[in-house]
Amino acid sequence: MRRTLTLFRLAARGVLREARRSLLTAAAMALGLALLMFTRSLADGGHEDWINAGVRMGAGHVLFQAPGYRESRSLDDRLSGIQTRAAIAALDALEGPLAPMATTIRLSTNGLASSASSALPVVIHGVNPETEANFSHAAERITEGRYLEQDDRLAAYVGQGVAERLGLSLGSRFVLTAQSTDGEIQGQLARVVGVFRTGLPEVDEGVVHIPIATARSWLGAADDATTVGAILPTSGVVPEVVRAVRSDVEGEDIRVLGWREAYPQLDAALRIDDYGDYVFLGILFAIVALAVLNTVLMAVLHRKREFGVLQALGLTPAETGLLVFTEGLMLTALAGVVGMIAGAALTWGFFRDGLDFSALMSEEMTFGGIVIDPVIVPKFRMVQVLQSFFSIAVVGITASIYPAYYATKIDVGEALKFE
Amino acid sequence: MSTETLTDIAVRTEDVWKIYAQEPEDVEAVRGVSLEVRKGEFMTMAGPSGSGKTTLLNMLGGLTRPTRGRIWVGDLEITTLSNKELARLRLESIGFVFQAFNLLPVLSALENAEFSLLLRGVPAEERHRRVRALFDEIGLGGLEDRKPGKLSGGQQQRVAVARAVVGQPTLVLADEPTANLDSHTSDALLDIMERLNQEHGTTFLFSTHDPRVMERARRRVSLVDGRIESDERG
Repeated sequence: MRRTLTLFRLAARGVLREARRSLLTAAAMALGLALLMFTRSLADGGHEDWINAGVRMGAGHVLFQAPGYRESRSLDDRLSGIQTRAAIAALDALEGPLAPMATTIRLSTNGLASSASSALPVVIHGVNPETEANFSHAAERITEGRYLEQDDRLAAYVGQGVAERLGLSLGSRFVLTAQSTDGEIQGQLARVVGVFRTGLPEVDEGVVHIPIATARSWLGAADDATTVGAILPTSGVVPEVVRAVRSDVEGEDIRVLGWREAYPQLDAALRIDDYGDYVFLGILFAIVALAVLNTVLMAVLHRKREFGVLQALGLTPAETGLLVFTEGLMLTALAGVVGMIAGAALTWGFFRDGLDFSALMSEEMTFGGIVIDPVIVPKFRMVQVLQSFFSIAVVGITASIYPAYYATKIDVGEALKFE
Repeated sequence: MSTETLTDIAVRTEDVWKIYAQEPEDVEAVRGVSLEVRKGEFMTMAGPSGSGKTTLLNMLGGLTRPTRGRIWVGDLEITTLSNKELARLRLESIGFVFQAFNLLPVLSALENAEFSLLLRGVPAEERHRRVRALFDEIGLGGLEDRKPGKLSGGQQQRVAVARAVVGQPTLVLADEPTANLDSHTSDALLDIMERLNQEHGTTFLFSTHDPRVMERARRRVSLVDGRIESDERG
């Protein structure tokens, strides 16, 4: 124990003695850690924004659908009123950090929107105006008019592209045609109360919202729904929520989907982006590791005589290696603390309100089926901080192994030669 | 073979060779040296540069392994020991004094001198008591807290001597200890080592070509081309 303490003390003094070299090494590692924390928090924040945009453009972080609906998109594969209420009950049972921020009940179908001038295939979402206003991304993107209201019967909220291609304006009437639950083609008159623009052509040119009561009546769907969805506080709780609600609706013949299954395109886009980040960070860390290795190894070469003396005085080769390794660990710890502070300062101090990439992005850049917000707010998570620290620790430890090994192999007689 | 008993022997070698593999031909630094050093001796190994003094000294101290031959420190054969066992031997039985002083720059004079005691696990109070007593004896009192960089060459070498003898080793190996010192400082240092030898019975083996050291030695071994050329007493 006393020998270990002695080694520790020698290592600490060794680090302090070469203050400039130690500081430069620690600074390289700290910078790497700070950049890692910043880029990770930026990536996490960006990804959370993407997920949030994606789930609001779609039907939530967690979706309840009838088995087969996802593949068929047919009203034949819909949730009955009992199943719909079971799904809502499962969501209502979630508490605390798992409790949904918004829910939706939708009756969606593919149909045709026709005006006097043209016709267009569209996806028609029958929605609850009250809950959907807090849920849907489209509901927030009003360019003209207003969103649906609870008392609306024939109101329609249409994408800008739909309005343009059908020659519709506020107050214009048009006809929606779709196959009802009994297989008949049915028409429904609708009047434009609002127009939205998301920036996604497939949404703006192909989506119409109408009140769910109107849709149920028109399509003969009683109190049925095609999708029950929920927006959760963060995407991180999705697996836990999916597990919980799956067990709640077990036996109801309801399929529960997390956002990754529901929006595979978005999931793939995020994975690709993550992969790019990891490659970048891998290169960054390799550079930092080489810098650390170079510095620590140079320090060992420079102090060959000192290590020779220590062994002549009774230190074993292994203890000499341990001394070098401990110095590396101390530098790593120092870099870890400084890097975490710098990373937190960089992330929180300068960019807590977000980093604006407007200058680098076109007005509406889309990726993975969503419109990317040019302002990315970094997301700072303790687990991410710990992962970053762990990464830099691995770099520091790895870069110290060879110099420590080298120190164990010093030829003491050679090291002590007078020059 | 000597008539001395094993317990009287500080270090003994038997046909020790050190050959360095080198192109175009190997270098035989030490060639078949057999030597006995009794406890309490104050002896020198002299010889021209390249005669094998330092190599032999390093082998006696377990810093370099011989190519062949056997070495005993006390009654322990060290040629078969592992690196760890050699480290323990150096810690407990051998003190070194180097030409370049080789104090640890990060430690104070006192910490340098007590280093081997620290590694041996001697309590702090006992360590400090022994080092301070030794420092007073060799004229280093009051310099305990100075770092090596703040000491003169003579003071540094005295700290090195204190470091070598404080653990009461079987043998102190001193490689050209006066080579970097002026004559006055060398004499003062030799006085100290001679006194330690006489008063504490510490065995000193010097590698040197300094006439001042050889004059004081009670035994002088001369090495030429890796072989013992002469061995004189008195």
